[in-house]
Amino acid sequence: MSRPPRLQPATSGSIIDFPPEASCLAIEGLSLAYGGKSALRGISLRVPRHRVTAFIGPSGCGKSTLLRALNRLHDLNEEASHEGRILLEGQDIHSPEVAVDELRRRVGMVFQVPNPFPMSIYENVAFGLRLQGGLTRRRMDDIVEWALDAAALWGEVKDRLRASAWSLSGGQQQRLAIARALAVRPEVLLLDEPASALDPISTLKIEELIRGLKSQLTLILVTHNMQQAARVSDYTAFLQDGELVEYAPTDNLFTNPSLRRTENYITGRMA
Amino acid sequence: MKRRAVRRLPRSEGPWAWLAAGSVAVSLLMLGGLLLLIAVRGLGHFWPASVALVTLDDGRAIAGRATRELPLVGQEGNERLYFTGNRDFDGHVWEWIPVSAIASQQRPVDLVVLERRRYGDFIGRLVAVGPVGLSVDHPDQEAVWPRLQARLQAQQALRDERDRLVRDTLRPLVQRVDANPGDHDAREALAEVNDKVRALQAGMHGEVAIVESVGGRRLEQPLDEVLRAWRPNAMSPVEKLMAWAQNVWRFLSEGPRDVNATGGVWPAIFGTVLMVLLMSLLVTPFGVLAAVYLNEVAHQGRMTHLVRIAVRNLAGVPSIVYGVFGLGVFVYGIGSSLDEWFFSDALPSPTFGTGGLLWASLTLALLTLPVVIVATEEGLARIPVEQREGALALGATRLETLTRVVLPMAVPAMLTGVILAVARAAGEVAPLMLVGVAKLAPQVPVDGEFPYLHLERKFMHLGYHIYDTAFHGNDVQAAMPVVYATALLLVLVILLLNLTAILLRHYFRARHGVLARQP
Amino acid sequence: MIEPSRLASPPRSHWRHQRDRLATGLIAAGGIGVVGAVMAIGAFLAFEVLPALAGGGIDTERLRDALTPMAWGTLKAALGAMVFAIPLALGAAMHSALFMSQRLRSRMKPSLEMMEALPGVVVGFIAGLVLAPWIERHLAGSLALLAILPLGVLLAAASWRRLSVGWRRRLPLSRAGLWLIPWLALLGYASFALSPIVEARLFGGDLRVWLDAELGLDYATRNALIVGLAMGFAVMPSVYALAEDALSGVPSRLGEGAHALGATRWQTLWRVVLPAAAPGIFAAVMIGAGRAVGETMIVLMASGNTALMSLNPFEGMRTMAAGIAVEMPEAVPGSEEYLLLMLAALLLFAFTFLVNTLAEVVRSRLRRRYRWLGGAP
Repeated sequence: MSRPPRLQPATSGSIIDFPPEASCLAIEGLSLAYGGKSALRGISLRVPRHRVTAFIGPSGCGKSTLLRALNRLHDLNEEASHEGRILLEGQDIHSPEVAVDELRRRVGMVFQVPNPFPMSIYENVAFGLRLQGGLTRRRMDDIVEWALDAAALWGEVKDRLRASAWSLSGGQQQRLAIARALAVRPEVLLLDEPASALDPISTLKIEELIRGLKSQLTLILVTHNMQQAARVSDYTAFLQDGELVEYAPTDNLFTNPSLRRTENYITGRMA
Repeated sequence: MKRRAVRRLPRSEGPWAWLAAGSVAVSLLMLGGLLLLIAVRGLGHFWPASVALVTLDDGRAIAGRATRELPLVGQEGNERLYFTGNRDFDGHVWEWIPVSAIASQQRPVDLVVLERRRYGDFIGRLVAVGPVGLSVDHPDQEAVWPRLQARLQAQQALRDERDRLVRDTLRPLVQRVDANPGDHDAREALAEVNDKVRALQAGMHGEVAIVESVGGRRLEQPLDEVLRAWRPNAMSPVEKLMAWAQNVWRFLSEGPRDVNATGGVWPAIFGTVLMVLLMSLLVTPFGVLAAVYLNEVAHQGRMTHLVRIAVRNLAGVPSIVYGVFGLGVFVYGIGSSLDEWFFSDALPSPTFGTGGLLWASLTLALLTLPVVIVATEEGLARIPVEQREGALALGATRLETLTRVVLPMAVPAMLTGVILAVARAAGEVAPLMLVGVAKLAPQVPVDGEFPYLHLERKFMHLGYHIYDTAFHGNDVQAAMPVVYATALLLVLVILLLNLTAILLRHYFRARHGVLARQP
Repeated sequence: MIEPSRLASPPRSHWRHQRDRLATGLIAAGGIGVVGAVMAIGAFLAFEVLPALAGGGIDTERLRDALTPMAWGTLKAALGAMVFAIPLALGAAMHSALFMSQRLRSRMKPSLEMMEALPGVVVGFIAGLVLAPWIERHLAGSLALLAILPLGVLLAAASWRRLSVGWRRRLPLSRAGLWLIPWLALLGYASFALSPIVEARLFGGDLRVWLDAELGLDYATRNALIVGLAMGFAVMPSVYALAEDALSGVPSRLGEGAHALGATRWQTLWRVVLPAAAPGIFAAVMIGAGRAVGETMIVLMASGNTALMSLNPFEGMRTMAAGIAVEMPEAVPGSEEYLLLMLAALLLFAFTFLVNTLAEVVRSRLRRRYRWLGGAP
């Protein structure tokens, strides 16, 4: 594992300076409001390519909202309105020529609660592929196997691919969700507290998986568990009240937070 | 060490708590009593009950089935109601006898019951069987009974033969001749078949059974009028059980006779099922469509909220109002226009401008739409939002999310809604009285004639059959068993449907419990 | 490891978007159409009736003469039904929401749902052809039952307190809904067996004759009493289900607070739960009344269908719904009678729709209040 580049101590809302080619996703001055109620205010940050970035913060701080903005799931809420830009490989994801389903394919997502579809394990993984179409049966089989393997699930389910996905345990269901997201080869994978509904052993497996996946794609993880963020991520952004407080390499943020607010949160002295 | 259960002694509550418990007991008692009454009376009707020969104080003798006993009005003691049959002798089939006036009571095995096409049942003794005008000098009980059975079977065979000829040969020929009056072959064949049928009928006419009532009056009963004969007092319990099963089957498979007072309910079953089937074909797609629109597509604002409340409330609008709507819009509005455009040669007698199968199905579909919409919406709302977002996050469009993930998950809810709708429609009578039910429909709405399914025809319905038979028959008392049996059938069908819906809903909720594990 | 190639092919994506837009449009159009068709009922009735009414198509004098007895009958029948249904339904709802064991309750609800599903024509048949003659014959016993059943329950409660602890555990209040049944059935039987003797002593042998002579009350076989009983039976399950929902939906914190202060369950129910659930119970009663007003077959079969206007519970009546069912098929479209019946239908529609809307609004407010009280998100 290569050490992440050292960065300047961050200040609120600052853009950490990576070389542009090292970041695949850039958020510039993003504000989000639901029906006039502000949820995010002036967030700017760059997400490094092929690294794990964690968003932490107290509940209601906007970390999940920010994550969901990255593949425009907030579009589903008709009252949502936004300002600022989100650039995926330099292209604004809100620009009219971006098709939202294509965006969501490129930016995959795994949710807090396991959500297998009411179909077989195989069909779950193949779901996204079938939407695209144009694949031979053999190729589909290969990709499904590859995705399940990448999600460390292949060994457990290879003999019962036709079984209902609902027959899997919670941890398996969550890894199935990851496999399903991986199958469409996203560039970025968003993980919204993927282990919060799981037992410790399943959590450990998911964490291992996340660390292993970063060689292939960029991961963004929202978690309320700071140990998890410390264990898994390379960079950590701390959000509070809809604002980005501090964004730094994980080691720095946890050992040497530059701001009082961050330190209070990390050491558990929340106001 | 034994662990003693630490249980608090039940504390005593005030009298009101007990009254509340009592109202549960009273409700269950009423429900149980009603179901028990219908079940016992409905099923008991088919039992070949024993026939008693009762001799009265004044020497008069009657034979009949005791049906019930009530205290005499204003006097001590009870009186008993006997079903005595023999309407052609007495003009009535029921007789109340004070119990105190009964001198003796027997159950002779030679009493026969004849089920006849006209005048209802005959109860009495069999004297002789043979061609018209036979002599009855030497009545021989034991030999006569098997002969009667054999002759009846032969009659039945002739009847079947005739029916088959009429159905398979005669009717098609009549149609050919109608279509082409110059077809000589057909005319000849028709004449030939007609002769055959006449010969068969003549063969049936020739035989009679001489029967005698216990009062001593004799009757020459043509055998072709007799449907069945049995000697209930001579039957063993097993034989009775078999006869009972046979009677149940005949009730389900035969048409009504004698102004609906006896016979079966097959056309009513057929009409009910067909109407409900058509209705569910109409209500399912439209109900699901509306539910999907309200829940998945429409902007979830104030307007949608109001519409949702209105749809819910329409489930509470009286069914008769739907009937009025059906009559005004479908029958008098659309139906009359259809008649003017397509069936003007049949006017002034209406084709679609009167109640019929199509309008009844449409009206009931409208009536049950809210049921399906509400149930489907409930199912859609119950699907966790992660399921939808999960599909969207994989790049699915809204339609793909809907058809591949959301709708498959909502299928049990839709099914529940449709079953509830069917149960409601099967029991609904009031709107049908306005839009198409018939007291007695000679033809079922499906036959071999183009276009096979006759949407404009009137049809029979189990629920209306109950109402009509119970209130507009000639002899309500005699028709009661049929009404009970029909009511039992209807209740069974509806309870079964509801039970399915309840179980399905239970299963659906249990299964979603697995998914909805919130942290 | 297999490295899949890039997948998306733009033309297909375009087609998918087109299809999505098209289907969404179709669903919207269809949905609006269906909802509109359902809503058309009210509009149709109004369009048929109101112009004629406004344009003087109907003689108001005749209108009043024809509608008043039917409106009267409708109210009388609905009132009778509610008199029977409300105590039974609310009592049962209180018992099952607060006293009944969870298991029994989960069985009780479906069986009462079944009761709701019983077709009106069957209930009407039993009421009109079986119950009515029976009650006519056993009038004294039937009326006595109204007093004997509650008294019997209270008697059972009083003797329950004197039972040994073991028996009290074996016959707990939480299952009283079941073990009271045989006792009440026995009481019912006794009431019918003994009533002739009482009738002979007090009313000179026949209560009906006595009613006529002493109070001037006519007795018709099919009367408001029978209709009330039968329709009460039909309406009771829906009132029960809604009232039970309202009562059991009250956040348990409220009741527990009262329990902690030493209140009995009944006191808790009466002081805390019932006031909290009152709007829901009101809504349940309203919906029940809506059903009673529109029920057709039971009234048709059990009421005698005579257009009388009296307060006598032993006389028959004619309701709007029954009137429509009987006369509508014979009425010539456009005739005065036809318009009259249409007007009756419009009144029924408007009444039930308003009542149900009111109930629905009350219920949704109540749900919000429960959420707030329960502290759930």
